[in-house]
Amino acid sequence: MSTVETIPEVFAASEPNTENNGVYWFNYDGLKVRELARAMNAVQARFVTITAYQLPKDEGFRLEYHWDLAGRLLGFTFDLTGSSIESIYDLCEAVDWIEREIHEGFAIDFVGRDYEPLLLKPGDTIGVNMREVAVTGKEVAK
Amino acid sequence: MSYKIPMGPFHPGLEEPYKLDMICEGETVTEAKLHIGFNFRGIEHLAETRNYIQVIALMERVCGICSFIHTLTLCQAMEKLTGLEPPPRAKYIRVVMGELERLHSHVLWAGIAAKLMGFKTMFMTCFELREKVMDVLQAISGNRVNYSMNRVGGVNRDIDDPLALVGLVDALEREMVKTVIPIFTTSHTALSRCAGIGVLTHEKAISCGTVGPVARASGVGQDLRRDAPYAAYDEMQFEVPVQPDGDVKARLLVRALEILESCKILRQALTKIPPGEFYTGDGKFNFVTGTAFSRVEAPRGEVMYSVSWKEHARNPARVHVRTPTFANMPAIRYMVMGARLADTPLIQASIDPCYSCTDR
Repeated sequence: MSTVETIPEVFAASEPNTENNGVYWFNYDGLKVRELARAMNAVQARFVTITAYQLPKDEGFRLEYHWDLAGRLLGFTFDLTGSSIESIYDLCEAVDWIEREIHEGFAIDFVGRDYEPLLLKPGDTIGVNMREVAVTGKEVAK
Repeated sequence: MSYKIPMGPFHPGLEEPYKLDMICEGETVTEAKLHIGFNFRGIEHLAETRNYIQVIALMERVCGICSFIHTLTLCQAMEKLTGLEPPPRAKYIRVVMGELERLHSHVLWAGIAAKLMGFKTMFMTCFELREKVMDVLQAISGNRVNYSMNRVGGVNRDIDDPLALVGLVDALEREMVKTVIPIFTTSHTALSRCAGIGVLTHEKAISCGTVGPVARASGVGQDLRRDAPYAAYDEMQFEVPVQPDGDVKARLLVRALEILESCKILRQALTKIPPGEFYTGDGKFNFVTGTAFSRVEAPRGEVMYSVSWKEHARNPARVHVRTPTFANMPAIRYMVMGARLADTPLIQASIDPCYSCTDR
């Protein structure tokens, strides 16, 4: 049975987690999101959500992936220099709606999946940064 | 020959606007697709324009039924960013309110399920019980839906005479044990509509990341009140009901048993509530820069908030809400596959969906 303490072994890493405000963070350089999804499947963690942040100016986006392992919340951060990241939908079907929601709300592209139908807004443009629409009134499709 | 039946977004069998496109062979559903977002409100974005008092009132309106739970989860996250620890009495009051809200939600759901089964008498009985729970909520908070109970560092109102509420809990439990549970578990009308219908297997419940009674009715024994206790739940004795079958009957049974467990928790909280203050501080505090997370077991399952704040900022930098229906709803397509078309409204209702939460 995997625990928060044994998670570093899963990634063959020596650094322990950092507990902060109720989340056990594991941030390893070079960790790929699909590698992470496979590891979470292997330890039978339950996917919780992805939180997207738009960083100031043109710094891009940050995505925080969360899984639950026996009541403990695990956190993994991915900073996006552009606006795309690999989809893990084929590895973890629970991410379907949140990947679509982030795609529709932040125009982040989850590479390797389809996005239909629209979740959040009527119309035919998929992948619009709705925050920029709210500020400029102009749709910016990616 | 297969044909497509669109159900919704506005349909007599649905309580809220969403759409289920079903492919049918005769009366049997072979494939289904779900569409949501018809009333998307952009509340997360709106939250970034509200200060720490206004944001509580705003997030209370994410959901009409579990409005207390949303503000509790938000306030717990904000308390991590301000370093405020609610006093013990406030934690007990939060348990009392949380469990009353669970009773309210489960009894309301039982009524709606009874209506969809064509069991109108049971609908009336459940809604009569729901009124009694709402009377208790009103007696505590002054409100019947949005209670305005939570604040950063505690609660806004005390419970003046907790022991007076124990009698109401006893009466509610008696009615559940005497009427509602026996009828739902033994009547031919209920069983013929629920047993073996809308099955979600244990494997699918896990792979879809389902939460709350939907997961527990498919044999997944998770409950944050036990696994990651918050408020005063670590001082409460209770069981987490789990059923293995994954059908509508199992979901009904889990909620019925949870009502009894809620009564047990309420009795403990009301009799053991410690004296003292019900909020910390004088209303003045500072946020530190950072992101805090909070999770709470709502009536429908896990609610998670992540709240980001910058020091000296008036408004949050980001509020993200993951509601239980958002996690549970995609599993509907597996529940309706192979089901009779006439059973699909009840199958959808069996997850107790909340589109107010989903279209936050």
